[in-house]
Amino acid sequence: MNKEFSFIVIDDSELDCFVIQKVIEHTDNSLGIKTYQNAQQALDAIRNNSENANQLAIILLDLQMPDMKGFEFVEEFEKFPPEIKNNYSIVILSIISSERDHIDVRRKFASDKVNSVIEKPLTTEKLFSVLSRLRSA
Amino acid sequence: MKILYVDDEPDNLLGFKASLRLDYNIITAVNTPQAKSCLDNHPDIKVIFCDQRMPGKTGVEFFEEIRISHPLPVRILLTAYTDVEAIIDAINRGNIFRYVQKPWAEVDIISAIDEASKFYTANSMLSIKNVELQKAYNELDKFAYSVSHDIRGPLSGILGAINLAREIDGVEEMREMLFLMEKSLKKLDTYILSMHDYYSLQRGELKITEIDFNVVIDDLKDIYTVFSKTNHIAFNISVEQDEVFRSDDTAVRLILNNLLSNAFKYQDKKRKGKAVDVIVKVQNNLATIYVKDTGIGILGSHIGEIFNLFYRANFQEVGSGFGLYNVKSALLKLNGQIEVTSVLHQGTTFRVTIPSI
Repeated sequence: MNKEFSFIVIDDSELDCFVIQKVIEHTDNSLGIKTYQNAQQALDAIRNNSENANQLAIILLDLQMPDMKGFEFVEEFEKFPPEIKNNYSIVILSIISSERDHIDVRRKFASDKVNSVIEKPLTTEKLFSVLSRLRSA
Repeated sequence: MKILYVDDEPDNLLGFKASLRLDYNIITAVNTPQAKSCLDNHPDIKVIFCDQRMPGKTGVEFFEEIRISHPLPVRILLTAYTDVEAIIDAINRGNIFRYVQKPWAEVDIISAIDEASKFYTANSMLSIKNVELQKAYNELDKFAYSVSHDIRGPLSGILGAINLAREIDGVEEMREMLFLMEKSLKKLDTYILSMHDYYSLQRGELKITEIDFNVVIDDLKDIYTVFSKTNHIAFNISVEQDEVFRSDDTAVRLILNNLLSNAFKYQDKKRKGKAVDVIVKVQNNLATIYVKDTGIGILGSHIGEIFNLFYRANFQEVGSGFGLYNVKSALLKLNGQIEVTSVLHQGTTFRVTIPSI
């Protein structure tokens, strides 16, 4: 079961990237993790990467980034051909100030590539529930 | 005060002008096209009197047309008592302020002008207030976003780190995380300090004292010397001041500190011979300050926006989006000016002038 996923973390904060990476490693340290503090670089890497053809990669995406917002990232991602898109599932990480916010954010992502929206900070419990949801899907 | 009078009968125009010219600046037009060009040439016309019955357009039609293109002048219709339909029309379609009966008496015209003038003043003050309010609302919107990203962001990061700390055993790993936590907190602290600067500039009053730029620059030198040495950036200073200069010390320091901090921050890391120059010259009651860097430069298309609140042209470095906005607000209070010239990959120069008070 172990090597079924790899992770791509996109967050402009160095500390958040570090914490997310460690949380994943502490949950299961056999999963591959790449971190990007710049969404454009992540997009370029996804575009050029064909190696993990048979493995699902989970994109943990921060919504509030200064250069490219999470929404813009998803828009750009949607432009990829299906053979690329099908290898990824997006999980939104966001600062959520109210329950309304949560619903608004969820509603804004019509894309079926967006698997779930979770409130920052990421913890092992939250990661665990994301993983089990993906496994059962 | 400029008043426009439109009437197809030259005699009426003459009579109107003759009786009111001593107190007001009367502009006349014999038809509506001429009246429109008067409005275009004199945007400061405050009141328009217009006769209802004219060949071509009626007064009502004219008012209906200009209420969109020239909304500011107060519209008054001159009409005979029998034109009840025209008056109703004028109120509904031309949205007039009032009407004056023809033939008019001078007292009626003068009282109409007085009232119209008060109405005009109240209206323009209202639109100025509206513009200010709109600006405040826009800033508030930006603040709402910024509070979530720049304040809750670092806080949630630190909370996440504390959560994680329960599972970390390695000291090295812990140290690395503490280092990142510290960085994150410092960023948050800087953000809050800049927000405080923003607030005091918006609301605070000036406190004028004598300013010795040698002292101000010496203090700043203390702050930046370590950074300049560790990052191999030459810091060149020149201060020429032989006369007394008076201004608000806090605002002057804020301006210099923000410009210097940017000059050091946005250096081109790969470049050799990195430098920041600050030149201050006080002459004839005017301080001219240059802050020059050999940094990454600013794209021409971004230069117009760098003074906007929360605008950031570059994301490589930590920034709050307050800095240059605060500089501009401070200069506005001090009656100063700022100019910027920048060449991409070569560097940026800010030139600031501040008059002594």
